[in-house]
Amino acid sequence: MLVGLATGALLTLGLIVRVHGAVADAKDRLLTPETNKPAVAIADQSEVGYCTPRFKEVLERVLHSCGLVSGEGGRRGCQPSDVKTFASISDSDFNELFTPLKNRGAVVMYDEGKDDLDANEKKLLEDMWFERKGARYFFVVARASKTGTVDKNRALSHRRANSVLFHLKDVSKDPEIEKTVGLLWLGNEFAQLSKEYCGWNNSRPESKCNEEVINRSAFVSWVDCRL
Amino acid sequence: MGPRFAPMSEPHSKGPAVVALIGSLLGLVFSYSSTVDYAAHLDRRLHDVHCSFIPGAPPTSEAEACRAAMYSPYSAVMRDSIWGGIPISVFALGAFAFFASFALYLLLARQKASRVNVLLFAAVSVTPLIVSAIMFTISVTKLGTLCKTCVGTYVASAMLAAGGLMGLRTLRPSVHGTERPEGQPLIAVFWLVMLGVVTLLPTIVYAASAPDQRPYLGKCGELKKPEEPSGALVKFRGSRAVQPALLFEDPLCPTCKALHERLVGEGVLERLDVTLSLFPLDNTCNWMLSDQSLHPGACLVSRAILCAKGQALQMLEWAFAEQTTLTAAGKMGEPALKARIAQRWGQGLADCTDSRDTKATLNKHLHFAAENNVPVSTPQVFLGKRRLCDEDTDLGLRFTLKQLAPEVLQ
Repeated sequence: MLVGLATGALLTLGLIVRVHGAVADAKDRLLTPETNKPAVAIADQSEVGYCTPRFKEVLERVLHSCGLVSGEGGRRGCQPSDVKTFASISDSDFNELFTPLKNRGAVVMYDEGKDDLDANEKKLLEDMWFERKGARYFFVVARASKTGTVDKNRALSHRRANSVLFHLKDVSKDPEIEKTVGLLWLGNEFAQLSKEYCGWNNSRPESKCNEEVINRSAFVSWVDCRL
Repeated sequence: MGPRFAPMSEPHSKGPAVVALIGSLLGLVFSYSSTVDYAAHLDRRLHDVHCSFIPGAPPTSEAEACRAAMYSPYSAVMRDSIWGGIPISVFALGAFAFFASFALYLLLARQKASRVNVLLFAAVSVTPLIVSAIMFTISVTKLGTLCKTCVGTYVASAMLAAGGLMGLRTLRPSVHGTERPEGQPLIAVFWLVMLGVVTLLPTIVYAASAPDQRPYLGKCGELKKPEEPSGALVKFRGSRAVQPALLFEDPLCPTCKALHERLVGEGVLERLDVTLSLFPLDNTCNWMLSDQSLHPGACLVSRAILCAKGQALQMLEWAFAEQTTLTAAGKMGEPALKARIAQRWGQGLADCTDSRDTKATLNKHLHFAAENNVPVSTPQVFLGKRRLCDEDTDLGLRFTLKQLAPEVLQ
């Protein structure tokens, strides 16, 4: 019996030491910062290759100057003079920035002097809108052709940008859309599109396209950049 | 004259004591392994667990059955007052040490061991088997899985009980006419007290040594934007809800399923007013996983949950219950998975998963995660704005709730 008792005492003592040791080791590790802690990815909006520092710089200026980031409301969008001022960028460089969005965005075409959207344009717009994926901002860059006065075209491109926003409000029912959509209207004063943009995805692929026609438009695209 | 072998049940046979001793030692090894695994998690880090029929085999990362058992409400007691509770295996550790010592005594003492001692050993040796039977039933009926280390302990308990009960046959008079001494009945009381002491000692040491986890609770981040402005997130309110909670879940994520089962098992889910943000780890809709889909098909099942509207919780629970088959179907492609959904929930709901609005709603769920910069992992639990650390949603669930939202446990 003594052997059994001694064995039991030794076993119990040994177990107590081991249990205490295992818990104490864990306690030591708990108090010691983990050096090789595996990095955990953090959820965020998407960021793709075209988000160069220059692109993001212009993007950031647009967002701040056009009232998106502050979220204070009141001011919606940027007109040509704003764009010229804040972008500090030439017409061609401005357009060049949007080149990587060729396959992400589309050109919504309008009739001369008009700002209303027909069924094709609405569908294209909705197709673009609902392909959001991980993008944070949706850009609308409206233009007008050279025909007519500067003031008239400035107002016309403003209405075109708004027609896009209003339709998106209707279909999205998104209460935060004002913080998502950036509007720029350039009239016929800044960054006119060349004829080569006729090859971009647009709402009137069957129609004749030239420099006049392609500028009666609103270029729309999600922008997959983080700021 | 040939050698004489005593049958195992002969009065002077060593067999019963040897069987009981081997069973006790095996039980000791398995319960020690479980205890060390459990204690390792007190550092709040991720660890592999030992899950093998071979005692001492190295830990593997594919020990989900053992992990499920470890995280379940049945693996420990006093979870409210000690982070992780006191694992049942620590009690087993002490008990098997007692049984091993007693079996060794019976083996060495043989006929000199008193009848009282043999009877007592037979009586108490079945207790681990009774506990094992209860735990086996729980494993099969509640967890739906059997952990190898646990099975090892069940087998060890069965061997111990067999040895103890076979020992009763050694009470008969031997062929040599030698009788066992009767022994003092009071000695039985002494042994019972010793069994209690030896069982409780490691438990007391474990509880006394366990680190204070309170400073670490709720230190894993906060929501930056707690509201999803368009109301896209899924809501379901428990029948006795007292605490708002936000869950990020993937219907095809096994850990989410395990968490859900723990919440239901602990009676916590019915006390929560849940907002569910679906976060499928499937790159067909989730841009945050650029190269790989961890759970192919999770986007489609998530859209099905959105389409279920008022039955979202039932759909989620169906997805968890059918996770294995849905995961297999997801790997085969969308048509196979959609067929499974249509079979159970109807073609209308399956069609709804393809609608533009449904896809847009799921996209809003993902943007909600992005806006809040939560880790790209599931599940995640937020109480109010505060994120619970992953370790506080598994081993430390009850303790954490007791500290941060005690009304949930009432």
